[in-house]
Amino acid sequence: MRTLTCLALSALATTALAGTTPRVSYESQVVVLVVTTQDYDEWRPWEKKTPDSRTVQAVVLDGSLIATTADLVENATVIFVEKHGRPLREPARIVHVDADANLALLTVDKPGFFADLKPAALAPSMPTEGQVSTVRWRSGQLEISASRISRIEVGTSYLGALEHASLIVETDLSGGGWSEPLFADGRLIGLTYAQDEKSATVTPVDILRAFLESVRAPGGYRDFANLDLSWEINRDPALTRYLGLEGEPRGILVTQVPWGSSACGALLPRDILLGLDGHAIDAAGNYEHRRYGQLKFTQIVVDGHHAGDVIPGEVLRDGKKVPVKLTLQPARSAHDLMPVRSGGAAPPYVIEGGLVFRELDGEFLRTWGKDWEKKAPPFLMTRYDLFRTTQTPARRRVILLAYVLPSAYNLGYGNLETLPVARINGRDVDSIADVDEAFQHPEGDFHRIVFEPNPVRAELVLEAATLEKATRDILDEYQIPERRRLRETPLPDLGDACPDRPVSPGAP
Amino acid sequence: MFASLLLCPVTIAPLVAAPAIEKSVVRIVNHAQRPSWYTPWGTGAMQWTTGSGFVIEGGLIMTNAHVVSDSRFLALFLYGDPNPHEGRVVVEGHDCDLALIRPVEPKLLDAVPALPIGGLPPLRSMVETYGYPSGGDQISSTQGVVSRIDRQLYAHSAADGHLAVQTDAAINPGNSGGPVVQEGKIVGVAFQNNKAMESVGFFIPTEVIRHFLADAKDGTYDGYPDLAVRTATLENPAARRLAGMQEGESGVRVDWIAPDSSADGWLRTGDILLRIEGQPIANDGSVASGELRLPFGLLVDRRQIGETLPVRILREGIRKDLGIPLKGYPENLRYSNQYDRRPRYYVYAGLVFVPLDREMVKTFGDDWMSDANSELVYELLFRPQGEPGLLKKERVVLLRRLDSPVNANISFFKNILVDKVNGRTIDSLEDLVRAIEENRGPCHVFEFGYFGRVAVLDHAAADKANAQILKDYGVARDRNL
Repeated sequence: MRTLTCLALSALATTALAGTTPRVSYESQVVVLVVTTQDYDEWRPWEKKTPDSRTVQAVVLDGSLIATTADLVENATVIFVEKHGRPLREPARIVHVDADANLALLTVDKPGFFADLKPAALAPSMPTEGQVSTVRWRSGQLEISASRISRIEVGTSYLGALEHASLIVETDLSGGGWSEPLFADGRLIGLTYAQDEKSATVTPVDILRAFLESVRAPGGYRDFANLDLSWEINRDPALTRYLGLEGEPRGILVTQVPWGSSACGALLPRDILLGLDGHAIDAAGNYEHRRYGQLKFTQIVVDGHHAGDVIPGEVLRDGKKVPVKLTLQPARSAHDLMPVRSGGAAPPYVIEGGLVFRELDGEFLRTWGKDWEKKAPPFLMTRYDLFRTTQTPARRRVILLAYVLPSAYNLGYGNLETLPVARINGRDVDSIADVDEAFQHPEGDFHRIVFEPNPVRAELVLEAATLEKATRDILDEYQIPERRRLRETPLPDLGDACPDRPVSPGAP
Repeated sequence: MFASLLLCPVTIAPLVAAPAIEKSVVRIVNHAQRPSWYTPWGTGAMQWTTGSGFVIEGGLIMTNAHVVSDSRFLALFLYGDPNPHEGRVVVEGHDCDLALIRPVEPKLLDAVPALPIGGLPPLRSMVETYGYPSGGDQISSTQGVVSRIDRQLYAHSAADGHLAVQTDAAINPGNSGGPVVQEGKIVGVAFQNNKAMESVGFFIPTEVIRHFLADAKDGTYDGYPDLAVRTATLENPAARRLAGMQEGESGVRVDWIAPDSSADGWLRTGDILLRIEGQPIANDGSVASGELRLPFGLLVDRRQIGETLPVRILREGIRKDLGIPLKGYPENLRYSNQYDRRPRYYVYAGLVFVPLDREMVKTFGDDWMSDANSELVYELLFRPQGEPGLLKKERVVLLRRLDSPVNANISFFKNILVDKVNGRTIDSLEDLVRAIEENRGPCHVFEFGYFGRVAVLDHAAADKANAQILKDYGVARDRNL
């Protein structure tokens, strides 16, 4: 009954819209991607999980390009394109992915593939009200659903990703959020990246255009800029008076400045950020956008800027107004001590004597399933919640003894798991490469693994002389092809430590 | 059915319940009042529960602490007597879930036989339980087999573990506090079951009962001594060799020591505990006890506070015999359920401050480990692992806000840790009260743990609003320190 009602509604919507927009043009502008993905097994990082296949939407753009959201092509083993609702598939190739902006560009190398497709025209900006069309292919038929613009909201497509203005629409489309393009007056206004019941969130054309321009820029791709700042609203007159601000509360209170962020080196905790790039910031953290009205101030660094740009700002510091300059940095996922996402990168690991070491990150924690935030061990989750963004030059990653492949060699340690490692053989370990290196330098006859303080065990000791053979035997016994995988690309250089960064009590 | 009958041991003759036992079993109705840690100034909800108990020597009734905790009025029902008689709690041991009651009428128990206390029943032997399960007025008895003897977590405090005996005799709510009997003698007090296991109940064995009685002899209960160390097992030969242990030597490594505990000053991290009470500790941390192997900590349990525990350690290649004077470790009470005391709190300008402890995080419900704010769980459970000194301090939480114009614009107002108030580090609820009351500045500045959060109250406005807020919200007293 429910389904029938939905279908009836969407049929009505389709009929109503068919009169105002030319269907034929959508048919050659929207294509289907059949994406086969294969994620790494985060517990057995030497192998991949069973492949999965999904059907998603994409839009044709100028220059024989196809755009979709990045999360849908992450870990793709093969991507096929279907056009005109016909099942004939052509393999596609990824041209560029920006995981933080959650956008991907693809192309099809087969000559003439784009001949009967028509690039979508980009709207000059997001519409701020009215009705638009969400378009997708379904069972060989083009489905055009009415969507109404609800609001524009600054947020992220996932924690740690680029923060930017997104369009929120109320839609008649059911089960969307898989990169369906939206059109207004026949022009592309964005791609959905999420849908909750009837409310869909859309990456707007503004971000898509900036992404395309950056991909096509002669000097190479320029990352989007992100502010990555902990702050609180400043509406409390008692607080602003205490901080020395005259008059009505305004600006936002800076509470933490992560290393490597745009604010690092420019803003300090307890600054009131009054303005940025010529825009005044109000006590709720909003500024007046020339087209979209009141938006969260973090949008300022996305609008017309890229990482590397320097923008001026003004802060109230110790009761005095001080001009500052922010050198903009890309989004945070790489700046985190425990990144939320790996962007499909193969998880680094090393196995020594049956001990499986890996990094603690969001990918690993999400293996606890649907309610992972409740189900993952509190010992790990509390660290992740409290110290996720606290990467420092001295501490860039958290290394875990993930678990132990039991054998006679590691007798007594078989039930240990998810313990953060502090040192191996007296050396600090900050990466899988460090773990690999530390095992080259036993302490006399032993390997000594010292854990971060935990409720289980302080130290684990192994026999050095027999490690090599034991590791080979264990890899053989458990049929593990590779002893280690080091990081494919080194961690980015995040520059000097931020001055006067507050130290959280208890930070490990 | 037949198969399971066949598996029943036949070596023990079927027990014939002596009528004397039933006469000694008491039904206890506890009219209790338990405060709310979320509304700590309130009087708490009234509730009544029923349990069982039994008469022992000295005109006393033994039962579980959880049967009589938070009591306002205790009604005792003797076997075959429909009239309630008032009882008073003499002593409670919340760590071992035992309590003693004395009837208000002096001669009430004169005609009731006191049950003698026996020993540890052997594995696979039969026992009988007596009690008033599910609130029934008629006594019920069940039989079962002693199926396991091991250390168990005592659910009443949720933080203490002692020896407990597992049986397949049905132990249901209301059975609690009732005697478990073998050959006419008490072998235990029924006290808990395990919802994850079918047909399994637990009773408190007589070594725990005797420990409680000996402790309570002077009229006050001091509780168990606590070494307050964490040890690591040493099954791996490499770990033993690194520690300098000889072939055939066994023990466990001291990994963590609570400050000012029994072990502090006597043991060091890295020490190997080789023997306790003259008995060798195995590499898995167990010691031999009759036909059983039990965790070595149960030998500490057999001692009283003030006694000396003989241990042999290996430190830097040298074997030493130590006599460790045993103390309790009241700092660990923060991890226990609390009973028979009012929550501590302080309310100022509508901000409600409480200590961080198990009752505080339980305001998030039974699944507080996953549901409570990470900073609270981390500070309570995990941070002291790296900074044991924190156990000597009290963390204070801004629990909630009683909304008022004076505090309405504060951005952070619930379930966050208070680090500093008016520049003073807060290591106890009393510190916080002093930092507010002794402040002479124009505002109160609250600095919270993690993420650099801060809140400010106008001092004069807050002082002015304080009394009205207390009145509006019906907070009779602004503090219980």
